[in-house]
Amino acid sequence: MRNPRTGWLLLSPTLIILLLFGFAPFLYVLFVGFNQWNVFSADDGLVFNGLDNFRRLVFDDDFLHSVGLTARFAIFAIGSEVVLGFVLAQMLTRNFPGKSLFRIIHTLPLMVAPIAVGAIWRLLVIPGFGPVPFFLDRWFDLKYQIGSYPDQALWTSVIMDVWHWTPFVTLTMLAGLSAIPKEPVEQARVDGANRFQVFWYVTLPFLRPVLLTTVFIRIMDAIRTVDEVWMLAGGGPGTRFTGIYIWRVVFPRTDYGYGSSISLITLYLTIVLCWLLFIAISGRRKGEVE
Amino acid sequence: MKKRFTFILLIAIVLLANMSLVSADMHGWWADAAAPYAGATIRGVSESTPPSNYVADVLAAQFTELTGINVEFETTSWDQMYSKAINDMEANTGIYDFVYIEQDIIYSYLAQDYLVNLTQFAADNPDLAYEGYDESAFTSFADYFKNADGDLFGVPMEAFVKVYLYRKDLFEDADIMAAFEEEYGYPLAPAENFDQYRDNAMFFTAYGENMDMDLWGTTVQGSTGHPASTYEFLESIGPSFGLYNWGINLDAGSAMSANGGALDGDTAVEALTFWLSMLPYAPPEATSSTWDEVASSFAAGRAAQGWVYGENAAWIATDDSRSAVTGNVGVRLPVTAPGVIEAAEMGDGYIGYYDGGAFGVPHSSRNKEATLLWLQFIGQQSVQAEWAAAGARITHTATFDDPLIAEQDAKVDGYYTLLEEQGPLFAGAPPFPFHAQVREVIDPFIQRAILGELSPADALSQAAAAVDEELSRLGYGM
Repeated sequence: MRNPRTGWLLLSPTLIILLLFGFAPFLYVLFVGFNQWNVFSADDGLVFNGLDNFRRLVFDDDFLHSVGLTARFAIFAIGSEVVLGFVLAQMLTRNFPGKSLFRIIHTLPLMVAPIAVGAIWRLLVIPGFGPVPFFLDRWFDLKYQIGSYPDQALWTSVIMDVWHWTPFVTLTMLAGLSAIPKEPVEQARVDGANRFQVFWYVTLPFLRPVLLTTVFIRIMDAIRTVDEVWMLAGGGPGTRFTGIYIWRVVFPRTDYGYGSSISLITLYLTIVLCWLLFIAISGRRKGEVE
Repeated sequence: MKKRFTFILLIAIVLLANMSLVSADMHGWWADAAAPYAGATIRGVSESTPPSNYVADVLAAQFTELTGINVEFETTSWDQMYSKAINDMEANTGIYDFVYIEQDIIYSYLAQDYLVNLTQFAADNPDLAYEGYDESAFTSFADYFKNADGDLFGVPMEAFVKVYLYRKDLFEDADIMAAFEEEYGYPLAPAENFDQYRDNAMFFTAYGENMDMDLWGTTVQGSTGHPASTYEFLESIGPSFGLYNWGINLDAGSAMSANGGALDGDTAVEALTFWLSMLPYAPPEATSSTWDEVASSFAAGRAAQGWVYGENAAWIATDDSRSAVTGNVGVRLPVTAPGVIEAAEMGDGYIGYYDGGAFGVPHSSRNKEATLLWLQFIGQQSVQAEWAAAGARITHTATFDDPLIAEQDAKVDGYYTLLEEQGPLFAGAPPFPFHAQVREVIDPFIQRAILGELSPADALSQAAAAVDEELSRLGYGM
């Protein structure tokens, strides 16, 4: 069983699938990204244009604006989800009446498809018909129109994302909290540590791997968010995130070359962001090994 | 008396027998022609519209019963429909056997040679040519789907104009009429010019507020997250002011006035300024409204007047289960600036949008023969009248004279008569092979103008510059 060939044989189905459906498409996107290719142009074939697509996106105000919007969306959505998820996970480590029911209800949004989440929220907030603008207007005289105010559209997207994904963060945090051994916590308390000190010096270091993984997953999800927000606001001025911008460039505009280059840059930005975050959270420095 | 009765009875029996024989004969032809393909499944995709839904709910089942060929017809959102159809045809995957071709995209599809020449294909397969299907029976709208040789590439399945709808119950209310005349000094009436349109819009918005009603003065298809707003401006409002072909001069390859275009010209700015000035008098959902929501808002009684796609006129005027204004819908030509109608009559312009679409067969289809039968089935005269009554669309000249349409016409305030008589004043989208590409470029500027982030002049000036850049990139520019 320790024969390396057996190991490779067992791994081969996974590797083949990864190569076919992961690496090969990536290579194709990489290739297309260095070409001009729009099937509805006068010359609809691929024309190698070197770095032109990448130079174009540096000066593309719409793309830069979409990156800024996505950053705001990701920071506020993920920040809120982590804080809320941790508080809820802490709460779920204790016993209280109706805990099981709460846990089920709390987890329900996770089971809803993103497109359905977008549809639900659209029905909730659409001006003229949705209950949210109706009651905000009636009770607080507040005009809530996501089509007219880009900031409202952005914040609604953040709240929708928090509603959808906080349960995921709660579950991962709950798993992390459950795995923390009791002894260090008890020792800290015996040594006179207050609640904050226990959290800061004991709980948080133990939670760090879970926190890191959760934040990574959520960052990647947030950067590629399309369907929920598309359904909610159609990718208008307040919600034209990078994912939606790429969709618009690739599909309605059929500008495959430029769309591929934006996808590559977005992937690069995601990797860099995750790496920076990894260093910041793990505290790892150059040359350090685990 | 007895003899006469017997004679009439005999004639009736002979006629009925003849009809049933003809019917059986027709049934027999479909069954025979479809025999080699019985059990096959053909797949199509279209936007979810009243005419498409009729195809999915009624015609597909009838065709399957006649032929044994199954029809899987996907009705989806406008964006998804395009995305799915283009991806399928471009990748040559053959998922769809027939696709919806909106009039405005046909030039792009023909330029890419996505579609089967149906005239030629039928000629090459005489066994599949149904005698009840006649290409010359279509209205002139079918010309949009023909090449220079007159060959058809799509069987028209819907055709309608974007009209001015108003609520008769409000416009003909004696108290409201008196209040309007007292305030504006002239009688209340459906708008015939833009000043009157504005007065109507202001009056009914104030009226709704004073009476604590959910009523506003006009519709505006002003979604800031959907191309619908660009379409309303470029294809309905712009032409009614005299801005044609999106302000793009194809010969010059430019949208800028300095180069022969008109997108940033005075007429375009005037049109956009007027349209944006209607937003305060539109329901709050206006900036989230596509064509579907505009129709729903009007049907819910939330707007006194507006620009509404004609495919919705029938259900808004007649379907109690979906509309709160049945029996009270007035239909008129959209308002125009001085000289625009005269120019349209001379063939030098148009007053609004003649929309519609056809079903075409992609080259990638694996079931072209079965699909040809299907397209002939939906293109035959006998299915047109009920389809037209349900979907407010007419693609056959003879359908205008059908008794069912005459009856429906009265309920929809003469919409079908308007379509027949005034239809030529409208026009489809310009023959651009880069339709969606350039429209996508214009969208953000129109949306920012709606939000008030750009003035109409700045929005159009920047849009024209961006269009020129895109045209140049696509190889159609200067």
